[in-house]
Amino acid sequence: MTVSALTRPGERDRLIVKLSEIDWLFVLVLSLIAGAGSLMLFSIAGSSWQPWAATHAVRFGLCLVLMVGLAAIDVRVWFALAYPVYGLGVLLLIAVAIFGDTRLGATRWLAVGSFSFQPSEVMKLGIVLALARLYHGAPADRAQLSWWLLIPATMIGVPVVLVAHQPDLGTAMLIALTGASIVVLAGLSWKIIAAGVIGVLATAPPFFLFVMHDYQRERVLNFMHPERDPSGTGYHSLQSMIALGSGGLLGKGYGLGSQSQLNFLPEKQTDFIFATLAEEFGFVGCVSVLVLYGAAIYMALRTSYLSHSHFGRLAAAGVTATFTLYVMINGAMVMGLAPVVGVPMPMLSYGGTVMMTVMIGFGLVQSVRVHRYSEVTSGKGSFV
Amino acid sequence: MTQPAIFFEEVNERQGVFHRRAILMGAFAGLGMTALGGRLAYLQLFETQRYEKLATSNQFNFKLLPAPRGVIVDRNGAVLAANRPNFRLMVARDKDMDPEGTIKTLALFVPLDEVRQRRLLKDINSAPKRSPVQVMEDMSWEQFSAINVRAAELPGVTADMGEVRVYPHGGAFAHVIGYVAKVNKEDVDAAGPNPDPIMLHPSFRIGKQGVEKAFDLDLRGKPGAEKVEVDANGRQVREDPEGNIPSIPGKEIQLTLDLDVQLRAEEVFGVESGAAVVMDCRNGDILCMYSGPSFDANKFVRGLTGAEYRALAGYDHKPLFNKALTATYPPGSTFKTMVALAALEHGYNPATVHVCTGHWTFGRVWKCDAVHGAQDLKSAVATSCDIYFYQCALAIGPDKIAETARKFGLGEIFDIGIPGQKKGLVPDTAYKRRRFPKDPKWHPGETPSMGIGQGYTNLNPLQLCVMTARIANGQKALHPRLIRSIGGVEQKSGAAWGDLPVNREHLTFLREAMKAVTTVGTAARVADLGLGPVKMAGKTGTAQHYSYGGGRGVHGTAGAWALRDHAWFVAYAPFDDPKYAIAVLVEHGGFGAAAAAPRAREIMRTVLLKDPEVMQRVQSPTPLPDLPPEIQTEDGLPDAPAPIQAAAPAPGAPAA
Repeated sequence: MTVSALTRPGERDRLIVKLSEIDWLFVLVLSLIAGAGSLMLFSIAGSSWQPWAATHAVRFGLCLVLMVGLAAIDVRVWFALAYPVYGLGVLLLIAVAIFGDTRLGATRWLAVGSFSFQPSEVMKLGIVLALARLYHGAPADRAQLSWWLLIPATMIGVPVVLVAHQPDLGTAMLIALTGASIVVLAGLSWKIIAAGVIGVLATAPPFFLFVMHDYQRERVLNFMHPERDPSGTGYHSLQSMIALGSGGLLGKGYGLGSQSQLNFLPEKQTDFIFATLAEEFGFVGCVSVLVLYGAAIYMALRTSYLSHSHFGRLAAAGVTATFTLYVMINGAMVMGLAPVVGVPMPMLSYGGTVMMTVMIGFGLVQSVRVHRYSEVTSGKGSFV
Repeated sequence: MTQPAIFFEEVNERQGVFHRRAILMGAFAGLGMTALGGRLAYLQLFETQRYEKLATSNQFNFKLLPAPRGVIVDRNGAVLAANRPNFRLMVARDKDMDPEGTIKTLALFVPLDEVRQRRLLKDINSAPKRSPVQVMEDMSWEQFSAINVRAAELPGVTADMGEVRVYPHGGAFAHVIGYVAKVNKEDVDAAGPNPDPIMLHPSFRIGKQGVEKAFDLDLRGKPGAEKVEVDANGRQVREDPEGNIPSIPGKEIQLTLDLDVQLRAEEVFGVESGAAVVMDCRNGDILCMYSGPSFDANKFVRGLTGAEYRALAGYDHKPLFNKALTATYPPGSTFKTMVALAALEHGYNPATVHVCTGHWTFGRVWKCDAVHGAQDLKSAVATSCDIYFYQCALAIGPDKIAETARKFGLGEIFDIGIPGQKKGLVPDTAYKRRRFPKDPKWHPGETPSMGIGQGYTNLNPLQLCVMTARIANGQKALHPRLIRSIGGVEQKSGAAWGDLPVNREHLTFLREAMKAVTTVGTAARVADLGLGPVKMAGKTGTAQHYSYGGGRGVHGTAGAWALRDHAWFVAYAPFDDPKYAIAVLVEHGGFGAAAAAPRAREIMRTVLLKDPEVMQRVQSPTPLPDLPPEIQTEDGLPDAPAPIQAAAPAPGAPAA
């Protein structure tokens, strides 16, 4: 197919063309990460496909199909669905607060028949879509510094408060930071950014003292002083660092990680899978996986760079921000640089919800890439 | 759809800002990834040794293994306490196990009745997590292998082989050696602020009595450790035999006791209550220390049931008591040896004659067993004439008797290694003052009683054996020795003490008098050993337990057991060349000559028959002429008698 062929009207609407426009190198990188995940899950199950490795691989395959399918959906459809998805997300969060299931002291799940899910996952995507759509119709000066900014602030604030109330501080922080990155990317004034950073730093101590739950405070304290309680909540951090450190340059060998194989490492198949990888494959293995993550982030961000529509740019960049935050927070947590917050390593950790959220997000990113020349109708005046 | 809502330059400005910010965000992400990489490099390249150590200490545990307990042997190396393999079944509570179901399953393989099952369930549920509770001991090999085969399907169940203490001679040594049992709280408290961690091991047993208790630390050895790989829940995953630390077995303890003598003592006592102590009167070694009736120490190792314990503790023959050390009795006429010696030492003329008419009046009427007629000191010892000794004692007074008695070890506690000795009492005027402040004066009427070993005088059989051994030795202030060596290190000899501060001639006189006891005196014939020229000299004693006056006490063997006299016999043999001394007490046995002397005779016979020097005299082979050295073969044995030797081929000649 020649470049000239792609300029023909209607040519880009053909499915085969759309599929060829997907960033298949990106797909390869994601597959490599998910493959590494399956490899580690196979190892920690004692060289067995059960109970994790096979499920992980199958889930990834299904999510990949879903992603390709979503990539083919016109970015204008995403655009039109932006507010409904966000609105649905807020309603579900309110429903959780009222009807939700309480597990381990947190009300995060909503049961529909025998199926239960966390509405906060919907909001991770919803906030990206809604803010991208909002900013799509906003001129630069508004986005920079104006009273209008209270609208995006409210749009971020409502779900963050609802999720934090569950309480799920990790997800609330993720949503807040994702929203904030979109606001910053859309051109927020440096003055407000500086003021915001100072504000967060100033309110952190009282927040820590008066708003946080005891277990959350414990985690933060244990992070700052891991020797405080080496067998209690500080245990996770300590054991993770032991797994990492003892891996050395080349690791202990596949299936030979004593920390993970003997269960010293908690949540070894989910939040702390990176530590398993570090123990068995060492520094070389870890850096290789980090390079894959870096490549994925670069490619996703480049997609946002190429988009001709503001909605597309912000949506792709927002998803990239979420993904980056996942990697950063989990990495920092596993390496003892952040408190234990229960954020998994996307694609590597076992767990269907996060993988689905991330892959739907990447479906949006690929849709933006496939439809990067599409003109998106401004929503100006229609909702705002 | 074709009408852009925002002006072109607007779009361009927003796009420009976005592009700059996106590059910034990319840079930010890159910075973050680099920071993570840097942290990884720090942890994995620079700190790796530290974390490797931590991972190893997570992964490996050392499981304490009790060392084999030191064996206890007799003077000839015969085993008195050893260890035998024991197949045990243990259950520990764990995360994914169901204690009730597990016990029900186990009951299919080993006998566990309903009561035991309920008891076990309670124990398992109240024990700390993963700390094993013993379900059964001494399983058969079949039971052991049946459970071991299924161990993988039964979480928390372990069948292993441990060691258990065994006393092959049951009761004969129970009082001296004691026994081992499970550690209880008192044992842990007694071990001080930092008890040996092995004390908490479920298969560890601690010495509770006798030698097992006194030398527990020597016998215990040093526990080893088994290197095992464990998971985060402390469950054992695999073993690493390369990393095991071997245990150091406990030290062997050799006693001076002789197995054959001890067993003979057990036999001759039968169901009677009493004690026998035999000492080598050349070096103080205790060849026999038996207290009867005894008990099976093996049952204590296993753990007594309440009924068993009550039966032992409640029996009036007091089997749990070491009567050789812990109980004191009036010595009766055996004490007359000391009265006679004290008299001689203080210038009493042995030719002094008192006439025995069966009665003697001194404040009140004092009686004698018989009418002995005119007696001098030597014949009074032989006939054990009370009336003579009432007056002999009065002539010298209590303090001089007590002084002499103490020189012979009476009223003394000896360091023989095991606890439980009672001091007893040799009274004197100072004692009277101290003990009875309201009536501090020693009345003359109390001296005659002391002269026949009654009154306040109370002694244990070991002390009387030491006394006899010192009389027989005639020179050394011998001390008894029970522990011959610990871990091969010889202990101090009982002869390594100073000389007796008494006149040797007086001792010779006393020995002659004791010879008379067994030839013409109270123990004539009963104490004859039947060993040809090897004879025994001794002294009988019949100690009054209750006053006859009130009609309670019974002389002889008539009447209720608990009211009868105690029978004593002390002796040494051979009487012309003393080697061994013996003291026998038969509690409520009646007359010393009837109950104690025959038992002493049997025990002494066993001792003498084991002594090659004595046997040479008994068998008295025809003396052979000394053979010239050239007819000796290479191994030093005479080849043949001399006349045949002459006809034999010369050495080196070819065989026919």
